[in-house]
Amino acid sequence: MLLGTKLGVGALTLAILTTGLWFYLTRQVALPNDRSVFVLAWMCSAFLGILALIKGTSLVGGIPSALAIIVSSFLTFTIYISPQKVDVVSVIKVGDIIPKFQALDDREIIFESKSLNGHLVLIKFFRAHW
Amino acid sequence: MRRLEELRAEFDKRKVKVITISTDLPNEIADERHLHGLQATMLSDRDLKVTDAFGLRNTAFHSGPPAGGAEALPVPATLLLDSAGKVLWIDLSKDYQRRSDPSVVLNAMQTYFD
Repeated sequence: MLLGTKLGVGALTLAILTTGLWFYLTRQVALPNDRSVFVLAWMCSAFLGILALIKGTSLVGGIPSALAIIVSSFLTFTIYISPQKVDVVSVIKVGDIIPKFQALDDREIIFESKSLNGHLVLIKFFRAHW
Repeated sequence: MRRLEELRAEFDKRKVKVITISTDLPNEIADERHLHGLQATMLSDRDLKVTDAFGLRNTAFHSGPPAGGAEALPVPATLLLDSAGKVLWIDLSKDYQRRSDPSVVLNAMQTYFD
């Protein structure tokens, strides 16, 4: 096996292990505040992938290198873009009465916020299922 | 969502209505519901009208799919309301990859609902 191919397999292995742990912690709602260990691991994976391609791989052996580079780069990018920001003037605050609203539920039935009157309520906003 | 359902007994004990709001279309919510099993009224807000009414549109980098999705996304947030619709507690995510553990929500319910 060419040295580059071995490096590529190592790069992909590191990417898979790191990404697996990442998604496990995500599912557990337990990602740490400091995610630099993940960034470091993914950068090492991407670096190994690039090094593998420079050293030279077989045609099939290049696939793990490319996958390692793509996966590691993409997930590092998602950390970079993950901070959230709202308009501090318009955002709802403690003590405010919620605005009236209506929206469709998963059966396409209109839900009216007035139906919440008289109940303790938890509202959770989330981005989407993906 | 799956972790939030861990608080089902706590919601039931306090008769808390649980509402979720996301940019998913109604059929997408119906299709994905089995993945987490959350017993909640799950609402679709693809046009962000509700999100904007609450001022929860994310104004930082839009990290949704490049096409076919909503034009922006809400900042992940959890609110507790009293029976008059007044906001008692808000948990806003400063980072969409970091969510509050359900224990944070439970502590808030114990503080504000009990």
